[in-house]
Amino acid sequence: MKIKRLLLYLYNAEDKGIFDQVVKLCQTFESQLFVLFVLEETRIAQVPRMTREKVETIRQKIEEDGWKMLYLVEDEAVESGVRTSLHMEEGTAAGVIKKYVENYEIDALIIKRRDETRKLFISSPVPVIGL
Amino acid sequence: MELRISDFLKPEAVMMDLSAKDKISAIKELVEHMVTNNFARDRDELFNALAKRENLESTGIGDGIAIPHARTDAVGDLILVFARSSVGVDFSAFDGKPSYIIFLIASPENKKSEYIVALAKLSRLLRKSAVREQLRNASNNREILEIIKKNEE
Repeated sequence: MKIKRLLLYLYNAEDKGIFDQVVKLCQTFESQLFVLFVLEETRIAQVPRMTREKVETIRQKIEEDGWKMLYLVEDEAVESGVRTSLHMEEGTAAGVIKKYVENYEIDALIIKRRDETRKLFISSPVPVIGL
Repeated sequence: MELRISDFLKPEAVMMDLSAKDKISAIKELVEHMVTNNFARDRDELFNALAKRENLESTGIGDGIAIPHARTDAVGDLILVFARSSVGVDFSAFDGKPSYIIFLIASPENKKSEYIVALAKLSRLLRKSAVREQLRNASNNREILEIIKKNEE
């Protein structure tokens, strides 16, 4: 059985825990892997209230951490022969995921199960694999 | 001490006018430049590592930027090479645009953390349109280095 295109949505560093499972899934279903991190303004705006850091500093840190995760997945995926593309976007996670599903004909979405991403299970236009 | 990309970009590693017209030729030209300048010790090993990655993913990240990269023991340390193409090279970016600015990152196998951090910092830097514009308009190697140094926080 083939699942042509899988979209992995990354939220934070805890997602590292599912990278090897994602790669194995891609190998099993011979899938191309799209890896997505979304810079959400609402998420960025929450942090200064807790840490008193400047919004721009927080934004840079979140973006950089996002890129680190993107490249970490890619490193594992490429080592295992999985075709991968990395995507950093701005917007809302639900909106960007919907755009990607439409534009790139994504067959299924992979998300690490957590409270913050629960709503994506409901809003996703394609089946969701929760790990 | 926090890693700074500018620490890994030497003046000799800046190529202001890449002549290659396609992705593989561009990578070969970059590899040749690295070997000539003693940044890499094994031409074939380095090329193969970069080409393997290119076959599995698009290192064209869009907006005219490509970041071919690999971990390989063909290099002794983390190295960054900059190249600019006046005509653009197709790195299969998802936005369909050719790449005019190419940053190659290579690191030994055992420096994965630094490699990932360098990739992340560079990718974030190059998302800024002002930085891309400055790099495209720079006149010489020294300006390229200054732009990177000035814009990384």
